[in-house]
Amino acid sequence: MMKFLLLVGIMVLNLAAHTIQNDEQFKNAVAGMGKENKLVLMIYTTDDCPECAYMKQKVFHDKSVEGYMRQHFVVIDKNIHKSKLPDGFDYFGIPTMFFVDRAGNKKETIIGSKRPQPFLAELRRIRAIK
Amino acid sequence: MRGVVLAIVFGVSLSAYDTSHLKKAIEEKECIGCDLRGANLSKMDFSGGDFHGSDLSKADLRESVFELADFNDCNLRDANAQGAVFWKASLERSDLRGLRAQGANFKGTHLNQSDLSRADIRDAKVWKADFTDAILNKTDFRGSEIGGSKFIRNDLRTAKMKNTLLWETHFRDVIMSKTQCIHAKKEEAILDTNVTCR
Repeated sequence: MMKFLLLVGIMVLNLAAHTIQNDEQFKNAVAGMGKENKLVLMIYTTDDCPECAYMKQKVFHDKSVEGYMRQHFVVIDKNIHKSKLPDGFDYFGIPTMFFVDRAGNKKETIIGSKRPQPFLAELRRIRAIK
Repeated sequence: MRGVVLAIVFGVSLSAYDTSHLKKAIEEKECIGCDLRGANLSKMDFSGGDFHGSDLSKADLRESVFELADFNDCNLRDANAQGAVFWKASLERSDLRGLRAQGANFKGTHLNQSDLSRADIRDAKVWKADFTDAILNKTDFRGSEIGGSKFIRNDLRTAKMKNTLLWETHFRDVIMSKTQCIHAKKEEAILDTNVTCR
């Protein structure tokens, strides 16, 4: 009986765990991709982070970056103070950008901001990762 | 010969730290008003540490972490802080002349009223730092990201600012060179009241 209760408890805990696969924003992002082979770019931000604002307002919309981003990536913005963060996506600084495939596998992590050209080079490199 | 010996002894005594102070700094992350001249504090975690009023001139701080640390009223002259992390640390009213901090992280730091003359802050992350009333004579900021920072009552004319990222950096009551002003505007810095470009 005790063993059974323990098993049930573990199962409940597993169901409650916040994985990227059951994250609403991630699910919507993947659904929006259709059959396209895009990656999810999940950026962790805060309200009082000018570096995050620089990435979101300036770099993501830079004319050399924006088209490539739209073609190959879907952006999820998570405010670390307001959103529940998925397990396995810990951060050590803000902004942190995680690149995730549609199955929920983390392909790469970038910490901190980058100018448009180096950022575009990073996007191309990450796209090429098998 | 005696002169040489004296010079050596005098030279050593100038950069020698107090060993008990170094032990306290490492073990307790707190050493107020301490003599840490030339001490080796590299590659260690001093997050939340308190060193205010201490003499850390010529100290080796390379790649150490000083998040939220207190360095107010300190002497960090000619210290080596390459790759160190000063995230949200307070370095107010401090002597930072000749500080070598290439590639360091100064995000959210308070540098009010400090003297950063000839400091090497190249390729550093300096987002949202406060330079109010800081002395920036020949400070080298080249390649650094200084976005969202505040420069109030500074003379920046001799500071090296080539390739700095100045997005939403606030300048108020400052004197800048014409080249710096052009660069700041191109980078979408915010030039508030009384910015002189000459």
